Amino acid sequence: MSELRDEIHAVARRYPARRSAVIPALRLAQERYGWLPPEAFREVAAALDLTPAYCKSVASFYDMFHLEPVGAHTVEICTNVSCALVGAQRTLEAFERELGIRAGETTRDGAVSLRTIECAGGCGWGPVVAVDHRYREPVRPEDVPAIVGELRRTTGGA
Amino acid sequence: MSAPPEQVTITIDDRSVSVPKGTGLVESALQAGIEIPVFCYEPRLGPPLGACRMCLVEIEGLPKLQAACTLSAQDGMVVRTSATSAQAADGQEGVLEFILLNHPLDCPDCDKGGECPLQDLTLRYGPGTSRMVVQKRTFDKPIPISPLIALDRERCILCYRCTRFSEQVAEDGQLVALNRGASSIIATFEDEPYRAHFSGNVIDLCPVGALTSTVYRFRARPWEIQNVPTVCAMCPVGCNVWATTREGKVARVLARNHPEVDGGWLCDKGRFAHDHLRAADRLTEPIRRIRMRGLVAVPWEEALDAADEGLRAAGASVCVAFSGGETVEQADALSRLVRQGLGADVALLPDDPDPALDAFRAPLAAIRSANVCLVVGDEPVLERAPIVDLWLRAARRGGAEVVTVGPAGAIAAPPGSAAAICAALAASSPPEELRELARDLREADRVALVWSGDDDTGGRHLAGLAAALELGEGSGAYFLPRTPNGRGVAQAWRAAGDGRGIDPSGDEALGALIVSGDEALRDTRVVALADRARFVLTTAMFMNEAAGQSHVILPGTGYLERDGTVVNLEGRSQRLRRTVEPPGWDELAFFAQLARRFGVDVDPWTRAGVDELAALPARSGTAPVVAAPAARGPQRAAGAGGDFELVRYRALFSGAAVERVPQLAFQRPAAEVELPGGDASRLHIATGERVVLRSGEVSRELAARVNRRLAPGVARVAEEHADGLADSVRIEKA
Repeated sequence: MSELRDEIHAVARRYPARRSAVIPALRLAQERYGWLPPEAFREVAAALDLTPAYCKSVASFYDMFHLEPVGAHTVEICTNVSCALVGAQRTLEAFERELGIRAGETTRDGAVSLRTIECAGGCGWGPVVAVDHRYREPVRPEDVPAIVGELRRTTGGA
Repeated sequence: MSAPPEQVTITIDDRSVSVPKGTGLVESALQAGIEIPVFCYEPRLGPPLGACRMCLVEIEGLPKLQAACTLSAQDGMVVRTSATSAQAADGQEGVLEFILLNHPLDCPDCDKGGECPLQDLTLRYGPGTSRMVVQKRTFDKPIPISPLIALDRERCILCYRCTRFSEQVAEDGQLVALNRGASSIIATFEDEPYRAHFSGNVIDLCPVGALTSTVYRFRARPWEIQNVPTVCAMCPVGCNVWATTREGKVARVLARNHPEVDGGWLCDKGRFAHDHLRAADRLTEPIRRIRMRGLVAVPWEEALDAADEGLRAAGASVCVAFSGGETVEQADALSRLVRQGLGADVALLPDDPDPALDAFRAPLAAIRSANVCLVVGDEPVLERAPIVDLWLRAARRGGAEVVTVGPAGAIAAPPGSAAAICAALAASSPPEELRELARDLREADRVALVWSGDDDTGGRHLAGLAAALELGEGSGAYFLPRTPNGRGVAQAWRAAGDGRGIDPSGDEALGALIVSGDEALRDTRVVALADRARFVLTTAMFMNEAAGQSHVILPGTGYLERDGTVVNLEGRSQRLRRTVEPPGWDELAFFAQLARRFGVDVDPWTRAGVDELAALPARSGTAPVVAAPAARGPQRAAGAGGDFELVRYRALFSGAAVERVPQLAFQRPAAEVELPGGDASRLHIATGERVVLRSGEVSRELAARVNRRLAPGVARVAEEHADGLADSVRIEKA
C-alpha cells in the first residue's frame, strides 16, 4: 500500500500545509478502496501526519465520501426542489423498481448503490442523475431501464 | 514592552465601561458587573466559535441579535443583554428551548445535576415549560470514550468544547465531531479509547452531563461535597487543584486555574490517581520486625521507641534517602533529625537543581509568549512535567519557534548530550547544525529554555546558556526535576546543615538507613544501601520487597493528606492543604517527635505564609560561567546487526499510585520499543511486530513502534519495560 502513500504525498506537495491535502487524500483512498474503511483513514492519517479520527471527522462531514461499502456502480438522484418539480421522485421510484432496492441501499450482488443527493448544480436540466459520478440530465422514468441495463452489462453479466 | 492598548468605552445595559480595545464582549460585560451567559465560549480553547448562541445580545445599529462571544468591544458600542432587551431575552429563551429539544430531563440521575451550567442557565434564562411533544433522540448509553470517561450522547449540546480542547490545546486529535448538522456526534476513531495525557480536561469543560468521569460517577452529589483548594504533588509542575471530598474521602480532583502555572489544565495522573489513597493494600499501621516473628503490626509509640533505639545504635553512620515527594516541612524535620540530632551527613537526593537557575526564574506561562523555545534532554517533557508540553504547544501555535534537540528532537543529538548542546549554543561559534538555532536564540526578545533530562548538572549548564544569552525579564530557564518537590527537599536538606557528607556509593557497613517514601523504595541505589545497613527505617504507603527488608515501617501519607509546602519546577512555594485525614500519624508528626528525642526541636505543623495562587519569588543570584563539557562523538548509525543506543524514560503513568487505580491501567506505557524510521525499514521491522532487545545475558521481547522523529541508532523504551537492559542493545525480529 505504499503506492497510496506516494500518491498522497504527491498531492500534498501542491498545498502549503500537509493538513490542507486531507480531502484530496481521502478521495485517493476512496478510489483505491471503493469506500473509506478504517484502514483508509489510518493510511491517510499516517501519510499526512494527522490522526485517523481527524480524517474521519472530515470525511463524515462530506456526502461524497462513503463510510460504508458501496456497489461497483453508484446512482445518485438529486431530489432538491428544481429536480423535484420536474419529477425526480418518479425517476427515483423507477430506479427502485428496476434495481429492486430502496434509496440508500445496495443491490444484493454488490453491483449498484442507489441514493438521493442534494443539489448537484444542474438545475436547468433536471432531474439530474449522477451515474458513477457522471451526470445524465435529464433522466425520465422511461430512460431508467436502459441505464440499469448498461450498468448490469459492465458488472460481469449479473 | 509594547505600548498599552488603546482604551474604548462601550455601554452595556446602560452602564458605561472602559476596556482595552479588542476585549471580548463577554469579558467587557463582566467588568461592568453584567453576566452574558455562555456554553461554548472558553477563551482558553482558542478563537471563539459561536456554536451555542447562548450569548445572544442586541447591539444598537445591527438588525439581528449577535453572538457576544464572537465580538470585541468597539468604541461607542451600545449593547443590551437579556436584562434590558426583550429581543435578546426572547432570543436566549429560544436558544435554550432549541438546545433542550433533544436534551433528556434526567437531571435527577445525571452526575452533573446541581453543578450543571445547562441546568443553571435554563433556570435563569430558559422557558418555564417545554412545547416538545415528540420523542427525543436516544443513543446507547453510556458510551465509554475511555476507561476514564463516559459519554451520554443524548445529553450533548454540541458546544464543541471537548473537541476544540483535543484539537487546539492538547493537539492529540483524538476526540472529534463526526457527521454534520443535527446528526453530529462526539466520538473517537472506531470507538478506540481516548488515550492521551490530558483527556480528563474534557470532563471539566463539558457544560452538561455528556462527558463524566467513570471514577467519580455516582459517588457524590454536589450538595454533599466539599471542595478543598490544594496543589497536585504528582509531578514537578504543581498544578493548582480542587480536591472534592465526601465523608472524609477524596472523591475527585479538579483543575483550579493558576494562570501562571497550569492555565487551568490538569493531566490525567493528577486528576485520577488520587484513588490510590483508598487502595486495599495500603499500609495503615506501623510495622516492626521482631525476632522469630517477622513483621508485626505495633502501636505508634512502640514504633517510635524502636526507631529511637535503632538510630541511637547507629551513631553517626546514618543515611537518609528522600523520595522528592515530601513536603518541605517533612524534609526539614528529617534533615534536622539526621544532621543536627544524629550528627550524620549523608542523603540521597532524587534531585538537586542548581541554585544558579534562580537568576532566570520565570512563570511557566511565560513560555507561551516566548519567541524561541529550546528543549534539551532525553526525557519527553510530556512524561516528566506534562503541563509544560501544553505551554510549549501554545507557544508554537502563537508563532514561536519551538526547537527540540535530543534523541527524538527536530535536531538530532545523541542521548546524554544535552549539557554539550547547551555549552555549544553558549559558545561564540556553535557547530554547523546548531548555528541557525543559536542565532535565533540570541536575536529573540523572549526565550524559554527547558531541560528535560536526568543529568543533575543540567541546571548549571542550562543557567550557563541562559547567562550567555543574557536572558532578561520575559525569558526563563526551566529545569524539570524528576520528582514533585525535589527542589524543595534539596533546599531543606541544604538548610539543615553544611557538612559535605560521605559518599553513599561506598561499600562499608551503614549504621542506619532512613527510607522516606515509596519513590525512594523504587530507587535501586536505595535498595543496595539497605543491604549494607544494620537498621532500616522506612515510611511507605505500600509494601514491596524492598520495604519488607526494613526493621521499622511506618505507614506513609499521600499528598492529599498532608499539610505543607511544595516547591515546583519554577521555584514557586505552594501550599498543600490536608483535604482528608491520613490513617495514622503523618510523617511530619512522627519525625518531629523522633527529632525531639534527639534534642532537636521541630514544629509538627506547617509554617504560615504561603498564600493561595502563590506568587513566584523574584529572581536572585547570578549564573556561573560554565565550561563546555567534553563533546560527544558524532551520531553513530545502527550497525547492520541492529545495535542501538537505548534511551529509557520514566513514563508519567507509572509508580505506586498509578498502579493502584485500575481505570488508569490503559494509560500506562505499552510494552513496546520505539525505533527510528530508517533503521526500522533497514531491519524490515514494522510497527506492531515483535522484536527482541539483547544486552549481555539479558533479553526482553517487546512490540516495535516506528517513530520517525527518533535519531538514527537510538531506541526508546519506558523504564518499566527496560529492566536489566544496558545502554547499548542489539535489536532483532523475534
